[in-house]
Amino acid sequence: MINTHEHEKKQFKRLFQQQGVDQFNFRFQILEAFLKLEHHVTINEIQAQLKKDGIDTDTGFIENSMELLCRFGFASKIKLADNEPQYEHRHLGVHHDHMVCTKCSRILEFKDEAIEQLQLKVADAYGFHMLQHKMEIYGICSGCMADRSPIVSLHRAKQGERLVVKEFDSGKNMQQRMSSMGLRIGDIIEIVSSGFGGQVVIAVGENRLVLGKGMAEKIQVQPFGRKQKKNCIPSIIPDNIGKSLKKLSGMKVGQEGVILKVSGKSVLRRRLLEMGINRGSMIYVEKYAPLRDPIELVVKGYHVSLRVEEAANILVEDVKYKKG
Amino acid sequence: MSSQLTIALAGNPNCGKTTIFNNLTGARQKVGNWPGVTVEKKEGILKYKNQTLKIVDLPGTYSLTPFSIEEITARDFILNESPDIVVNIIDASNLERSLFLAIQILELGRPALFVLNMADVAEANGIKIDEKKLSRLLGLPVVFTVGNKNKGIDSLIQAAIDEIFRFEKGKQSRDIRYSQEMETCISKVETEIIEYNIVIEGLLRWNAIKILEDDKIVKERLETAAGSDAKKVFDVAQECRARIWDLFEDDFEIVLTDDRYGVIAGIVKETVSNLARKRIDMSRNIDLVLTDRFFGLPVFVFFIWAMFQLTFSLGAYPMEWIEVGVSSLSGIIDNLMPPSMVKDLLLNGIIAGIGSVVIFLPNILILFFCIALFEDTGYMARAAFLMDRVMHTSGLHGKSFIPMLMGFGCNVPAIMATRTLESPKDRILTILMTPFMSCSARLPVYIVLAGSFFADKAGTVIFILYFAGILIAILSGRLLRTLFFKGEEAPFIMELPPYRMPMLKSLLIHMWDRSKMFLKKMGGVILIGSIIIWALSSFPKTTSYSMDYEGQKDTIKAVYVQKKANTENQEIHILDTLLIQELNGIENKKEQEQVSKSYIGMIGKGLTPFFEPIGIGWQASVALVTGFVAKEVVVSTMGVLYGVGNDGGDALEKALKQSGMTALEALSMMVFVLLYVPCFATIIAISRETAAKWACFNVIYTTMVAWGMSFLVYRTGMILGFG
Repeated sequence: MINTHEHEKKQFKRLFQQQGVDQFNFRFQILEAFLKLEHHVTINEIQAQLKKDGIDTDTGFIENSMELLCRFGFASKIKLADNEPQYEHRHLGVHHDHMVCTKCSRILEFKDEAIEQLQLKVADAYGFHMLQHKMEIYGICSGCMADRSPIVSLHRAKQGERLVVKEFDSGKNMQQRMSSMGLRIGDIIEIVSSGFGGQVVIAVGENRLVLGKGMAEKIQVQPFGRKQKKNCIPSIIPDNIGKSLKKLSGMKVGQEGVILKVSGKSVLRRRLLEMGINRGSMIYVEKYAPLRDPIELVVKGYHVSLRVEEAANILVEDVKYKKG
Repeated sequence: MSSQLTIALAGNPNCGKTTIFNNLTGARQKVGNWPGVTVEKKEGILKYKNQTLKIVDLPGTYSLTPFSIEEITARDFILNESPDIVVNIIDASNLERSLFLAIQILELGRPALFVLNMADVAEANGIKIDEKKLSRLLGLPVVFTVGNKNKGIDSLIQAAIDEIFRFEKGKQSRDIRYSQEMETCISKVETEIIEYNIVIEGLLRWNAIKILEDDKIVKERLETAAGSDAKKVFDVAQECRARIWDLFEDDFEIVLTDDRYGVIAGIVKETVSNLARKRIDMSRNIDLVLTDRFFGLPVFVFFIWAMFQLTFSLGAYPMEWIEVGVSSLSGIIDNLMPPSMVKDLLLNGIIAGIGSVVIFLPNILILFFCIALFEDTGYMARAAFLMDRVMHTSGLHGKSFIPMLMGFGCNVPAIMATRTLESPKDRILTILMTPFMSCSARLPVYIVLAGSFFADKAGTVIFILYFAGILIAILSGRLLRTLFFKGEEAPFIMELPPYRMPMLKSLLIHMWDRSKMFLKKMGGVILIGSIIIWALSSFPKTTSYSMDYEGQKDTIKAVYVQKKANTENQEIHILDTLLIQELNGIENKKEQEQVSKSYIGMIGKGLTPFFEPIGIGWQASVALVTGFVAKEVVVSTMGVLYGVGNDGGDALEKALKQSGMTALEALSMMVFVLLYVPCFATIIAISRETAAKWACFNVIYTTMVAWGMSFLVYRTGMILGFG
């Protein structure tokens, strides 16, 4: 390590003198301080290190110098989400990726040859010449996961988590209000967003609910399964996706399933939604008309007919034959 | 308080609004068991205690987003006419979907009442709804009714009046709250509207939501009210929509729909306690046959065939009675009145005209009864389901089949019924196709012609004609589609209501309403038509005949006097009868010559070059021309022109046979009648529902098709040697 840093300092001197950068000594000190620090540091942390070394500088100058260091390839700037920028050593020819804990803001470095290769392969497949790449995985680090109790109050949950509602620490009134909004114990919810002054937006099935901080605190939840991104279904639905995932038009008489996605033109979609054919609804194929077009369906307890070409816009999951 | 209160009935299609309306007002509106029976709003007055209540029955809608004209009618009434209360009728067995509209009605911020109708059906299906809880959650009264058994109607009225007074005392409807992002957008737009001091009708929040939903009608209204300020509001709304798109990757209105269903799911979870999904599956069992892959279509064809067969065979008996009645009436008048112009007008104009039409009343009653039966049981929707694939070939919606089927009854209500179609293109196309559906007014023509020339095969010939009409309608649809109505077809999303036992009362109401229309038409258009035709055929009075008819009469009389003198007493009687027959024959010939020299004869002869290639003589040509007024007139004109006078249908058949018309000519004429312009009233209806240009187009197009097809039939027949 030390050797490398010596090498860097030498390069620094050569480059900076060549370029005629002003206040060379000061900047060199900053480089030294930065190199002393490992991992990812903020401007303030560099300032603190400089102070320890008996040098007092203002953050503006440090920032300016760090930008120069980035420019000449001694440091890399990482800007993660809303945090203030952090800097890390840039070791030429050595690359790594980051995992960022959204709870404690820790940044973990990792390197996986398979991922690197895969990236090159992907870029290659698209005829893309890759210059550099950045990969950041956001989540909760093992430490934080271990720290947290299995049941937490909803306001501490993070965006994108899937949770199951365990209990309401509240009076009957609020409980009733919650159930009237469609939130009950045992429901699986997904955090759509949190923050914004403690407000939490959750999704219960098809329903989005907004909970104030006070309310969110009173709802106890438990993580449920893995974080899933359900929305990422390609807009063009391939014909044969899998056994349990089907276009409605591909379903056979007597099969039922849960509607996963309603696509198609805006007017058609809206009409379908208004007729109660929406995501999360159970749909059953009653029969096809004698000439194989339209289909008769049962949804929300009533019968409705659709043309096959329209039914092709509806993606259904958990397709199986109805019992009995 | 004794001022008049307005109560609007709104709800999903086929939830029983009209049944409740009829129970409330005692009116006789058409009720049917397929979605979209009510296409225009209907009003009725009800006296309750010391209140006068005006009840308005609105067309059924699934939401307040206007897709079709009927939905726009419903929405505009609620918005513009500000009824004192909106009574939202909900099919209790279908609560979840019904609540979607209910919530939108609630959002209008006007007094509202929810009526859970068909409570008995819901109960039978094992659905239990806690109406008190529902009422508490939504902040408005909820009552149960059973429309067809007239249960709960009083409590409905009472609850409605109470709710109106509660609003007068300052009650406000409860807001439905959506997710944070949506609420932010809504309040942003609300602020804009307030900022620019824009005066709007209705609730601020509702307007804001509609602007965000990009609702064109609301936006237009705002634009006329506020001009350029409105644009600024729209800009803000557009930003909000963009934001929602970024967040959810979907349009505002779609996300809102999702949100609404979320709220509804919550309400349903709370209030519906027993979700035993056990549909009493009579409907499904019936459908096992009626919409079966193999039986469905044959059964459908059979039903239609049976309907027409019943119409003719069962209708034959009362037809005879009426015929007897008409001829005895004219006999009485003949005896009572001295010969004069007035008598001639009465006998040969009015009674001959109306008499030859009124005998078809039984047929029409039976036909309408059958159509009503299809509607009330719910078979109509199945017909659309079965026929969609066929309709689709002409680029139409299965729903178009319903108006077309109604066209068998009368084209005018059929054209009105196209309002259930969502796409304007589909509507115009269906309207242009409907006149090819053989309406009941054309039936008399077929009965007379087919009856005269095809005898016991008449039923089959008429059946084939009806199907030819359907076929030509479909082919025309295809043609017009490719010529004028290119582009997207409307989606086919149609509810299939459960089969219901038809109520006799409702069937009779249907039958009577439509027959009344038929009779009214007779009293009006046909009466005038008959008089005009009589006048045209009576004037100018001929003074010089080609033959000396009176002289002939005298000669014959003289011959008989001689004969009488030579015969025994018993045979004198027979000779008298023969004499009268011969005299009548001469009199008829005289009349025919008179008519041929009259104005109408001139018109008919003037049209000969046009009608000759299709084998239609001048009398028939004149009848066809007069048929433009109304198809019933065709028969009565023929009655006058073939000199049958007051002798009714049977005599006309004889006269036709004697006139030298061949079966092929009769067929050609029937094809022409089937296809050419239906009637004046239909043209008016087309012009009203679409535009004058489409009405004109229809007149030209149908006449061209009629001539072309008749030509084809006649010439082919000639070549094959049937002439």
